Amino acid sequence: MTADLNHKALLTHEIGSLDKPGWRVKAYAGKPLGEADFEEARSWGERLTVPDYKKLLDLLHHAPFDKGQKAEIQRWSSLYALRLEESAGLDVVYDGEQQRTEMYDWAVNHTNGFERRGSVRAFDNKYYSKAAVVGPISLRSPFHNAEFAYLESVADAELKIPVTGAYTIADWSFDERYDVDTDLREPAPERRRKRKAARRDFVLEVARNLIRPNLEALIGLGARWIQVDEPGASTEADELDLFVDSFNASVEGLNAMFSTHLCFSDYNLFFPAIERMSQCRQYAVGFANYDSRELGTSDEARPGYQVIKKFRDLAYKPALGLGVLDIHSDFIESPELVRDRVLYAVKVFGDPGRIHVTPDCGLRTRSWKVAYEKLRNMTAGVELAREALRL
Amino acid sequence: MDFFSDGLLKWQDIFRPLAAALGAKPHTLVRWFDTNTFFRAPEISGRVATLAHPDGVVPDGSVPRPRVTTLPSPYMFSRAAHTDQARNQLMVALAEQVLRPAADAAVAAGSQLIHLEDPWLGYSGIAREDWAPLGEALKILHRDLKAKLVFHVYFGDAGPHIDHLLKLPVDVVGIDLIETELNALGSGWDKGLVAGVINGRSSILESLENTVEVARHLADRVQPRDLYLSSNCELGYLPTGVAEQKLQRLGEAARRVRELVSV
Repeated sequence: MTADLNHKALLTHEIGSLDKPGWRVKAYAGKPLGEADFEEARSWGERLTVPDYKKLLDLLHHAPFDKGQKAEIQRWSSLYALRLEESAGLDVVYDGEQQRTEMYDWAVNHTNGFERRGSVRAFDNKYYSKAAVVGPISLRSPFHNAEFAYLESVADAELKIPVTGAYTIADWSFDERYDVDTDLREPAPERRRKRKAARRDFVLEVARNLIRPNLEALIGLGARWIQVDEPGASTEADELDLFVDSFNASVEGLNAMFSTHLCFSDYNLFFPAIERMSQCRQYAVGFANYDSRELGTSDEARPGYQVIKKFRDLAYKPALGLGVLDIHSDFIESPELVRDRVLYAVKVFGDPGRIHVTPDCGLRTRSWKVAYEKLRNMTAGVELAREALRL
Repeated sequence: MDFFSDGLLKWQDIFRPLAAALGAKPHTLVRWFDTNTFFRAPEISGRVATLAHPDGVVPDGSVPRPRVTTLPSPYMFSRAAHTDQARNQLMVALAEQVLRPAADAAVAAGSQLIHLEDPWLGYSGIAREDWAPLGEALKILHRDLKAKLVFHVYFGDAGPHIDHLLKLPVDVVGIDLIETELNALGSGWDKGLVAGVINGRSSILESLENTVEVARHLADRVQPRDLYLSSNCELGYLPTGVAEQKLQRLGEAARRVRELVSV
């Protein structure tokens, strides 16, 4: 059964990714490090009071790095990221994918049945590496275990582990296995019917053969809160039931707290489909991107948050991870703006215990300086909200 | 290929160079229909300014001729924008103040096809009362344009819209044949047809023989004034290597169809 972790009201946490420091990226890629990289490692180590960070500085001066040293540098990067989030005051932390290439690429590269096809644009000039499913899908080996074991050993705050969800993995992949017919002479409705049936087979096979065994492995290591990331969930408006089926197939009967992260979508589309997703104990959803930057707690002042009423009314009463930071902008939300977004949500929900506070999404497109300032203001804003609510 | 573009590689999304030239702030990140790509909705408030410097839409000098220039259709542009204006008024204003200057600049730079892309109509449809303002907006673009004007509907079944599409003041209608039934196109067109026969969202290479047969069918049954073979949508959803293979196959299909037709 899905667990609830009895978190405090207005719990704060991150969503997933953080930018990777230049020294980590260059070291891993075998590129030369410069003074700016050493200074970045030194200044953040000092600022975040990372224990023994001078050992990292010493290591970085000893390029070229062998495989073991590269892994060690990745762990340092994880440690820095954890300390950044803990220093910003987050209640629940993660390392911002410092040991993963990226949320999709990392998963398919550890899975049987996929082949890389190349890079495609996601937005602006940001690209991601896209693969095709070409054969039976299976987990090559649990691919978050080493990460979890390390983070568990060094995190001071509670940990939450993000895992890319089945629907998103399928949606972000080409299908060269299930739906391979390209004959345009076949009636279009028949082509569409076959395509939808193929999508169902594809998504559910990812859920059963990839996501679920990976979750079981994490739980076996002691993971208690697992966030199933589904940024692609509402991509096809007529597949919300499939998304829900894939979530349920991934987590049913497993003993951990499961949440999901949704972003950059028309969230109205999720209803009523997610009424069947009762094993999801928290929805972490991005709203700030759609909101005004003006202060206020009225409906008019908070246009980006109108849909939260629907999450409130779900019968199984999940928590809402309230996105209050626009992760695609360097605009630093003031504590007062965060406060008003939180107070508005509490007013709508009537129960601060069901409100958690988060960025809209992972912060990997922001510099650490900007991410840190945003997160610090987020936790400061939550404190203002606590004062206002006398919590 | 017979027409060339720079693939809009420098455009961060279909609206960005136009929005930037207008000084319209790109803001909210919005999903591009049912894809894993996103655009920034242009913020347009008040009167639409005239596009004074449409340099950003002109193809790069290295692009061979003849050229094709792709622009957002006025219908899609007006629907995707964040605005305080009535959508249909905005549509006509965008055609007049923004898209027409952009099309003229593209023609001056050697474009012989102005390709208006409209996945909005394909994906979300259009209200009956919006066809007339759309016709008005397209008339502004079509009048005395020294290139052929294409209105390309994709990401949806164009079948229900065919009668209306054929009445629009454009030279060529583009149809997504991955989503649209071949038989829905009817016959005896008095316009050209951009036939989207290559799936821009799938990495599977189409069968050459099938593509040739479909093209012949279109030529025989639909009898468009001109037949252009193309992808059903932009190729930005494909890695470069896959897109290149698909274009090679498209070119080969066109060559074979020409041979068969000339026989």
